[in-house]
Parts: sequence; structure tokens; C-alpha cells
Amino acid sequence: MNRSSKGPKAFSCRCVTLFLVVAILFTVSPGELQAYNLEDRVQRATLENGLRVLLVERHTSPTVSLYIRHLVGAADDGEGKTGAAHLLEHMLFKGTSTIGTKNFKEEDRVLKKIRETGTALDRERMKGTRADEAEIKRLAKELKELQSEAKEWVVENEIDRLYSENGAADLNASTGQDVTTYKVSLPANRIELWARIEADRMTNPVLREFYTERDVVIEERRQTYESVPSRKLMELFLATAFTASPYRRPIIGWPSDISFLAPDYLEAFFKQYHSPNNTVIAIVGDINTAKTLEMVKKYFGSIPSHNLMAHHVTEEPAQSGEKRTELVAEANPYLAIGWHKPTLPSFEDYVFDVIEALLSKGRTSRFHRSIVQGKQIAEDVSAANGMPAARYPNLFMVTGTPRHPHTAEELEQAVYEEIDKLKQEPVKKQELEKIINQLRAEFIRDLSSNSGLASRLSYYEIITGDYRYMTRYIQMIEKVTPKDIMAAAKKYLIEENRTVAVLVNKEKP
Amino acid sequence: MKRTLALSLVILLISTGIGLAEPTETPRAPSWPDPDRLSYEEIKFSPPKPERVVLENGLTVYFLEDRELPLVNISFVVGAGSVFEPPAKEGLAEITGDVMRTGGAGKLGGDKIDEELESLAAPVSISLGMEYGTGSLSVLKKDLNRAFKIFADIIRHPAFDEAKLEQEKNLKIEDLRRVFDKPQRLAFREYKRAIYAGNPRGRLPEIASIEKMDREDLVAFHKSHFFPRNLRVAVTGDLSKQEALELISRHFDDWDDEGDFATAPLPKPQENAPLYYYEKKVPQSTVVIGTIGPGKESPDFYPFTVLDYILGSGGFRSRIFQEIRSNRGLAYSAGSFYDGRQGYGSFGAYAMTKSESTGQVLSLMEGILKDARESRFPAQDLHLAKRSIVNSYIFSFTSSHMIAFQHMILEFQGLPTKFLTEYPAKIDAVSREDVMKAAEKYLDPQKRTIFVLGDQGKFDEPLKSFGEVKRVK
Repeated sequence: MNRSSKGPKAFSCRCVTLFLVVAILFTVSPGELQAYNLEDRVQRATLENGLRVLLVERHTSPTVSLYIRHLVGAADDGEGKTGAAHLLEHMLFKGTSTIGTKNFKEEDRVLKKIRETGTALDRERMKGTRADEAEIKRLAKELKELQSEAKEWVVENEIDRLYSENGAADLNASTGQDVTTYKVSLPANRIELWARIEADRMTNPVLREFYTERDVVIEERRQTYESVPSRKLMELFLATAFTASPYRRPIIGWPSDISFLAPDYLEAFFKQYHSPNNTVIAIVGDINTAKTLEMVKKYFGSIPSHNLMAHHVTEEPAQSGEKRTELVAEANPYLAIGWHKPTLPSFEDYVFDVIEALLSKGRTSRFHRSIVQGKQIAEDVSAANGMPAARYPNLFMVTGTPRHPHTAEELEQAVYEEIDKLKQEPVKKQELEKIINQLRAEFIRDLSSNSGLASRLSYYEIITGDYRYMTRYIQMIEKVTPKDIMAAAKKYLIEENRTVAVLVNKEKP
Repeated sequence: MKRTLALSLVILLISTGIGLAEPTETPRAPSWPDPDRLSYEEIKFSPPKPERVVLENGLTVYFLEDRELPLVNISFVVGAGSVFEPPAKEGLAEITGDVMRTGGAGKLGGDKIDEELESLAAPVSISLGMEYGTGSLSVLKKDLNRAFKIFADIIRHPAFDEAKLEQEKNLKIEDLRRVFDKPQRLAFREYKRAIYAGNPRGRLPEIASIEKMDREDLVAFHKSHFFPRNLRVAVTGDLSKQEALELISRHFDDWDDEGDFATAPLPKPQENAPLYYYEKKVPQSTVVIGTIGPGKESPDFYPFTVLDYILGSGGFRSRIFQEIRSNRGLAYSAGSFYDGRQGYGSFGAYAMTKSESTGQVLSLMEGILKDARESRFPAQDLHLAKRSIVNSYIFSFTSSHMIAFQHMILEFQGLPTKFLTEYPAKIDAVSREDVMKAAEKYLDPQKRTIFVLGDQGKFDEPLKSFGEVKRVK
């Protein structure tokens, strides 16, 4: 019903949200399987076209949560095409050749002209100072006229209308560096509607209203990055920490790239990555597993798979010296520190999950006790493992907000004191036990929501290739020893391997 | 009661949009049916009804058993909110809630409580909001007794340790300093001050009011609002009713019911309010047009809920979203919100757009609100709104705790529990005339409050063309 929400049912692109979501996924806690038999309750099937499906029956209420995840994200955007994965995610709400049109043949005729004109306009604009202003004016006018002509054939926001009218909750999509996600929860009898819409948009999407939506994304960037200094700092931080890895680029894209993204590129991108063999579906709720699987086969089974072209991803070279940068803005100070490290499923990644919890999980965590409550120099300090994403080597991060009149420098030193302790003193057994207890309890709590479970199962299946990463997580965490923690801290949490970004206000105190 | 709700859900869940879909001339792939003509099996569902027990001292307990996981969830609601803060003590409710959680309780100091709760992995939160306060505990069954003892002490015997109070005050002051770094948060905070001007709800925490707060203020605020008749508790999860009641009785039976219910004046819509402008050098403006809408107990609540859906809270098809975002690409966030509360409702339409289109967006929003009063909505808009609200209603019953919590809050707000069962039918009965009447009554241009945060030097149109401008700090 969405009644009291201030934010819109913002599809998408909650790039920043996702940034955080991913972090949460790492700290959250899969756990004691034997006791709750989650593995026994998950049915996993692979269709002939390579589509993987995970199903869990939960009969608590007559509802179902449905997740579709494609292994593609901003890290796959081409050079000069940053923001492509994210804009495509927006575009896939515009409908298909059978959803969102009054007459597709007529509409398609106009859409082709729009594409030609829009492409010509972008080409002229790309010339920058040498562009022909009169030509730009003429093409812009022509584009506008064609857009009004196309409106005659469009039934706007049909996908949203169909889902809403059928009682959808949490209809949304998101784009991260690694994964693009389409999710919805429905009354349990509406699964066929979902299959009909989603199989269609995996096959016949129509990129209608393209140029207007590109403007929406520019507004989104203005809202979520340009207007918020701490977000701008994070963007700068990642661009500094990574020299070569695709993780150096913002999910939403650089402004000039967004403004030249073209429908042809997005279509090719779609064909390459949204194929069934690059996709995982998770369905959790009041379902009959066999019948639901049949429904999935009926709609998704005939979508042809694509040859996924193995492509080389630029590796981040080892860092050999501290990198520092600052953002000058009229805002309170903000600190971000990151160290390079291996990603999951390496054992060291589990060790960093434990370090993250030691440092900043809860009020008894080391950061809270020593910096927020003890020294009282920060409003908040938190650690996050696995930033900004998990497909490629990533960062262990610490962010914090100094408490006035304390400075980012003081906070930075306090953080390093805690990091040094990790290297010098073995962690006590009780402290490790507390963390394992917390992670185990969180795991159990997560089982009580259809969408939470569908989200985690599908995420780990698509990222690691096996959802059991999640179900066996606690067993792995239990293997982490005080020695492992010291070793990882000594190896990775060092000056030569770190990047520091600080928000500085030169205007006022 | 169970039967009524089951019946209404069955009826409403099987009705689909047949007949109202846009006609299509495109031939469809044979295996892919028209999504508007799919047929669905009926859903039969009777959400469980929590049991309700009132202790002798007046404390009301709601209980629902749920054995799926070895967890117990407990929540309370209390008549303690910022609306009851004495003048110049803005922020007292929030700080009281924070220090109840952090400042020790019973025989335990705050640090000890943190250690106990975190070693049990049993999170406790206390949050005293604007109209009322809530608190919660989630704990593994095996640790219930230990954790609940602490929870009960936090409710009844908070220690309000001076040092912890100082810490929480300092953190709140830093938080207030940082409001200016987040333009949207700043905008909605200042909008609140504007729309509730002259009402306690318009008085907001400031650095000065926080600085002046002392322990006695917290003790007095807690004492005057935490008493059995002013508190309701919901218990759900892996335990029997008897276990639940024993637990509650053990910790609350000897609590004397001393105290009077606090009251606060209801907010009224402002007559001929100026346009409030808050200057901030940002590339994007926040525009809000708000008013005071019907309360949850009013018959107008239902038509106004439908109206709000059509205007801006109903996703991509809602008018504000479709016009400002989909058609014109002028915003990423645009829509409306409506929260029906006890005695009044909070409604606002909003959009965030680049400075250079601020005037255009404000005109579009005004136009959409004006249109809602002057022309009837097309039948399919009403149909979509009603179907969406009714069909998604089932998501209000997806967990035992959610169900018990809703019963608790409804009774706390003075509403009958049949509110829950009757809601779908009452939404379904809303007519086009009802919606139009609600729009006429509540969206009167003389009674609206317009708020703009942005950088007016870059606006496409001077704000004064929308009315008298009052610059706020």
C-alpha cells in the first residue's frame, strides 16, 4: 500500500542502497543448518536453457516472494558507457512488444525513427564546441515531435499497473556492480502473472520512452550523488582506491556517459547478459514446488540461451603505497578508509567478515566501545567487508563521522589504534563466541521472511554458483581462529595497501 | 471475526482487472496469454487473531503462538511521544527513549546490559516518536527469561545514568549538525516545522533544546507516560499463552497504575499560508505541497486513501509520478504520502527536481491537485487504486508478530479491531463521488502549505508567482 512512505516506490536504482545491501549480505549470517534443515527445504532445478531455479515452501501466509537475478552489473559497462546496466534496468519497466502498447507494429515504426533521430542528435552533441547548434535544435525538435507521436501508441507503466492491480508488494529492481535484480512479492495465486511478465521482459523488451528515462536517471544522479556530499565522497573514494578494476566506476555512471547512452548499446548489452544461463530465480512462499516449477518451465523454458562470452576483466594491480584524496564541500567532515583484499569464497574473506563484526557490530563492538563511547570523538564508525561488490577482489572499509569539534584526522588515528590491536593481541574466545552467536541468531531471524530468504538464496547462488555458501556460512565462520585474524590484519590492513578519502569543509569550522 | 476477514479476502483476491484493460490489437504469441485475462485459484486465508488479556492494573497483552522458529518477539506501544514534550524541551521524548536503552536499568548498568543482550544476540530497541513510542525485543526461546527481565527493567526502572545521558545528547547534537548535509532530510524536517506551525508537532529538537536537557527531565517524562494503562504489549512466537502470561505477570503485576493520559491539540490546516522557502545551494530542489487530511477513524479515511493512491502513492501509474517522471523526465522521486493518524492525517505531494525546473514542477503539482477537485477521475484509475490496495492487503498479515502488533496499535489508537476486517470492503465501496468529495474537502488551495528547498537564483520562475513567499532560515 505504500501509504506512509516518503520515498517513491523507487524502482531502482537504488545504487547506493545496493551498495549497502551488498555489505549487509556479507555480515548476515547464514547458520546452523542441521538444526533448521534449510538445505533440505531448498529445491534446486536447472532448466535445459541453463536457467537455475531455487524454491522453498513456506506456508505462513498466502504470499510468495519472487527474485530474478542476472549476473551482470555496472562492472560490465563498457568504457565510456558507465551507467548502461543501470539505465537498462530502468528501461525494462517500459514493457514489451505485448505489454505497454496499443499497436506494436505502428508504435515500432515511430520508435525506429525516434532511435535514428536520437542517435543523430547525440552524435552532433558529442562534437562539443564544434557542434552545429542549428542542427541540434532541429533534431531536438524533431525528436520531441516523434515522442508525442509515439505516445499515441504507448500504454504507460503497464508492468507496474499489472503488478499493482494484482496486489504486488515490494515491486522493485536494483543494479549493483555484480548483479541486476528484479523482485516482487505477490498473493500466492498470482505466480502465473509474474511468469508471464518476466519471461516476456527477458525475451521481448521494448526500450520505449528511452530519452525521457535517460533524463530521469540524470535527476536520480543529481538527487543521490550531486546533492549529498557523503555520497560524492564515496564515489571519489572508489575512483581513488581502484586504479584498474571496473569497481572504480559509479554504478549510476559518470554524468557525461549517462547523457550519451544509446538504445543500440543497451540492446546488445541486454542480449549478452540477460540470458537464462546467466540468471537465477528464487521463489519462496506458499507454493506447491512441483506446480510452480512447471509454471516456470512453461514460460521461461523456451527462452534461448546465449553463448556467454568469456571476457577478460582488468585486474587491479597490487597497491604499493598509501593513496589519499579529499573532497572539499560545505558539509561536516566524513572519513572513508579502505584496504584491498581477496573476495569470497576465499577463507580470508570469512576472516574479514569476523573482523568486521569485531570492530563494528553492535554497541559492544570495539569501535563503538572505544571511539564512540570511550574517546567520544565520533558520532558513528563502521566497518564493512566486501565493498563495493564481490565478484572481483574488493575492499575492507571503515567509514566514520567525527563529532564536532573533533576532526577526521583524530578519528583516523583512533581507527588505526584499533587496527593495530588486531595485529598485536589475539582476540579472546568469548568475543569470538559472541560474534558467532549473533550471526547464528540473525540467520534464524532471516528465515522468517519470504523475501529475505529469496534474496539471500538467489544472491549467493548467482555470485558463488552455489546457494550453499549461505547455508554453510556459520560452519566456515566457526573455523576462523584468533591467529587467522592477526595474520589477515598484518597482511592486508597496512599503510601501503590503503586508500583514505576525507570530506573537508574549507568554509566554516 | 476470522470468518469475515477470510471471506472478504477470498472475494477480493479473485477479482481481476478483466474488462478494464486497454484493448490491444497486437497478435500475441500463442503460448503467452493476455496478462489481464489470466485466471487464478481462490485463496482461502484466515489470519489468526491474537488473544487479548488485560492485567488487573490495566496493562493489555496480545498473544499469538507461532512455532515455526525457536524465537520469541515482544513489542510494546506507549502513549509517550514528542507531541507531549514541555515547551523548550524539544527532543526530550527521543532522548528519553535512547537513554532508557543505554543508561542502565534495574540493577544493571548500561554497559552491562549491552554485554548481556549482545551475548544473547537479543536486540532491544526503544523509540519514542511523535505520537507514541514503541519498543521491541527479539530473542531465542532458550534465552527468553534472561532477556525479558532486562527488557522489563528498561520499561519500568530505567536508571538514566548521567554519563550516558551526556553521550546521547552529544550524539543527537552531532546528528542535528549533520541534518544540513542531507538536503532531503533537511527539507522534510523544515516542511514539518512549516505544516505544523502553531502546534506542538511543529516544535523540533534543536541543539539548544538538547543542550539544556537534564536527568530530571527524563525521569519526569518517563514517570508521567509509562504506566500500565498507557502501555500495551504484544508477545508472539515459540511459547504458549500460559508461558507468555506468566512471564508478563512476573514482571508487571506489581506495577501500580498511576498516571494520567496526556493529550495534545490536533493540528489544523493552515489558512492562506505563505509559501515557505528554505535556501540551500544545491543543484536539485525539494518541493512539497501538504495539508492536514482525515484521521484514521474518519469515514473520509477510505476515500482519501484511494485519492492519495491515485495522486501519488500508487507507484508508476499515479498521476504525479507519471506526469513529472515518466512523461517529462523531470524527477527521479515524485509522488505523495498519506498517513492517517489518530484524529488527523498527514498528506503531502512531493518531487525533487533540478533547480532550473523547480517552477515547472511546482505548477504541474498544483495542476494535478487542482484537477483532482475539479474533474472526476476516470473509472479505470479508481479501479486500479482499489484493486491494488485491496489485493495487497494480504501483506499486512505475513507474520504473527505483524498481526499482533497491528491489533495492539489499532486499539491503542482507539480503533475497533474490526477495522482490520472491514478495511478491504470499505476501500472497495469507495465511489468516484466519494473521492471527489474528499479532494474538495481536503485539497482546498487556501488550506495548503507549500514548501520549497533550493537555490532560487537558478529557478526557472520566481517563487513569488506562486504566492507570498516567507523565507525560513
